[in-house]
Amino acid sequence: MEESWLEFVAARLPELWLRTREHLMLTAVSTSLAIAIGIPLGIVARSRPGLRAPLLGAIGVVQTVPSLAMLALLLALLDRIGAVPAVAALTLYALLPIARNTLTGLQGVPEEVREASRGLGMTVRQQLLMVDLPLAAPVIIAGIRTAAVVGVGVATLSAFIGAGGLGQFINRGLSLSNTRLIVLGAVPAALLALLVDFTIAAAQWGMRPSRRTEAGPILPRLRPVAVALPFLLFAAGIVPQMSPPATAGDGERTSAPTIRIASKNFTEQVLLGEIMAQLLETRTSLRVERRFNLGGTMICHRALTSGEIDLYAEYTGTGLTAILQRPPMSDPGDVLRIVREEYRREFDARWLPPLGFNNTYAITVRRGAAGREGWRTVSDLAPRAASLTAGWTAEFSERPDGYPGLIEAYEYRFGTTLDVDPALMYQAIHRGQVDVIAAFSTDGRIAAYDLQPLVDDRRFFPPYEAAPVVRLDTLEAHPEIEETLSRLAGRLDNETMQSLNYEVDHRKRRPGEVAREFLLSQDLL
Amino acid sequence: MIVLRRVNKSFDGGGSYAVRDLSLEVSTGETLVLLGSSGCGKSTTLKLINRLVEPSSGSLEIDGRDILHHDPVQLRRSIGYVFQGIGLFPHLTIRQNVEVVPRLLGWPPSRRRDRAMELMEMIGLLPDDYAERFPDELSGGEQQRVGVARALAGDPAYLLMDEPFGALDALTRDTLQQELLSLKSRLHKTIVFVTHDIFEALTLSDRIAILHAGAMEQIGTKEEILGRPATPFVRDLFAKPAQQLTAFREML
Repeated sequence: MEESWLEFVAARLPELWLRTREHLMLTAVSTSLAIAIGIPLGIVARSRPGLRAPLLGAIGVVQTVPSLAMLALLLALLDRIGAVPAVAALTLYALLPIARNTLTGLQGVPEEVREASRGLGMTVRQQLLMVDLPLAAPVIIAGIRTAAVVGVGVATLSAFIGAGGLGQFINRGLSLSNTRLIVLGAVPAALLALLVDFTIAAAQWGMRPSRRTEAGPILPRLRPVAVALPFLLFAAGIVPQMSPPATAGDGERTSAPTIRIASKNFTEQVLLGEIMAQLLETRTSLRVERRFNLGGTMICHRALTSGEIDLYAEYTGTGLTAILQRPPMSDPGDVLRIVREEYRREFDARWLPPLGFNNTYAITVRRGAAGREGWRTVSDLAPRAASLTAGWTAEFSERPDGYPGLIEAYEYRFGTTLDVDPALMYQAIHRGQVDVIAAFSTDGRIAAYDLQPLVDDRRFFPPYEAAPVVRLDTLEAHPEIEETLSRLAGRLDNETMQSLNYEVDHRKRRPGEVAREFLLSQDLL
Repeated sequence: MIVLRRVNKSFDGGGSYAVRDLSLEVSTGETLVLLGSSGCGKSTTLKLINRLVEPSSGSLEIDGRDILHHDPVQLRRSIGYVFQGIGLFPHLTIRQNVEVVPRLLGWPPSRRRDRAMELMEMIGLLPDDYAERFPDELSGGEQQRVGVARALAGDPAYLLMDEPFGALDALTRDTLQQELLSLKSRLHKTIVFVTHDIFEALTLSDRIAILHAGAMEQIGTKEEILGRPATPFVRDLFAKPAQQLTAFREML
């Protein structure tokens, strides 16, 4: 039974509070950094006209990099996930409005006022601090307002690289096709943007000198309060992050070692993450930190190799082709052997025994169309391919074991290809917006939407057996992880995985709950 | 005393000269008016004196010392300056505007305040009424009075005035000229006053220097200049307004 909206929100209130604070922290820190960098840049741009064009040009180019690409880029550059690359990306975005408005504001200082400040004997520094900046302040603050409000928006994307914030709900909602979760992230984010905008506007009002003509004794007294508002909001974002977590009830639990489990951003991954997390929490003394819904294979892999997470569930075929960049192979045993050897050698990580199912890509069409056209295998599509529209996920479009390899193996192309979100592609084909998708064979929605996976008759797709991948140093420090997670070996066959996915995707149940039921049914808890 | 010796100033590396081979002396307590049409180099000359503009060649001395040996910032603080565009600081109150130079000189707040009040009374803007107003709440004439007070606040020995009344209407201009005359007799400042208005020059000057195309045509008291114009340019300069005055009188 679905819970009511009120229950839904009430149950997530503590997390909502946490995510809001994280969101505030990301925005506040990045906006402050951008102020600290952007205002000096604007000042330099005014005093050195030669530098102006290249400087603003460079910042402008940065601004045009799409937000997700920027996050991915900084992730690669800084080689870590979480708040640091997120703050770096947000700072870069906030730079342009602040630097440009600083320049515009300074250029707007009337020439006769500038001449007066110089002629009366102010040093360059005094001209800037006593005259130019105060006069440019309204324009500069308008830039800060723009930057902060945009920052609140872009910060929702930070969840893709594990930086938390309200985007976490949106991400989770997208990967679980759960509209309520999306709303739970989006609405507070919008409110937060309004709040940020309001406080800065209030501060701007508060900084304006009081005029004699302004009647009433109350208004002038409110000005300092108004100026303090954004700083209070900033403090609200920062301070609780630095104090120890409020949940630290008994000392024993806090001192227990913590391991970090990640997942990619789709249902099955979240479920596997939950299953592994709950098993470890029950059967060992380890604490688990969940860093779920990271934005894709490369992000999880990078987080693993840089030591920011300890383990996540990966698929052998993905490890072989996407990570190790090897050509696709069809024998499951060979694939597992190669990824085991290479991960140990290259990444100091270990593949534990596979969980039992093979979540391969399945070229999938509507069941009705398959019946009508007599499609049974992927080869059968060849004659009609030019008139068909395929919907691929971003990863499938690029991976060697995705569309590029498919073209070579089957020697045909589809007439049109669209990029679709993994969470939305089943709906897209169901509604006829696309004719072909590369479904995940363990997805419960294949059955739910009456779809027909086609046989991979040229044996192009490598096996994608799911298995936990763990850092070697984590295994050395906590040998019980290997023993515990090995209990899952072979327990999840394709049908089981499909039904677990279906519970979450279609019946909108919580992954934690579904994972727990599964573990109980296997007598693992 | 201010002395200029063979001063040249070119803004385009010698292609043309804003000030050409200019030598003159301003004695202590004197009001020297630099008179000329726009582009004649009179404002540039004024800016050379407090180093808002640096000379291309020649030397300038104040009280016997080459101004290039002064720190320009210190020099400007010791010279009052009234700007053509008035240039009050729009974000500061009238009192704060007047206090700017004392603040730069590091005077304690109470002394600054007393000085500002004293000057505001002197220029006829009662502190009770005006001190906490902002420049845009004042008329043009009131603003330029504040400009004069601001220039006098650090009690400088020299006062440079760059067409200070040029943008004001005729009546206000006349009032301010009269006030300046009375200030002058009380304060004994050495004043260099730039204008293109012949009557203003005649009213305010002890001596007049007539500039044309960057060079000096004649310098002397108004009697000397009116009585013995040194060049055709000077003669024409005064002849035209005299004709106008005659025409005007006839109309009346």
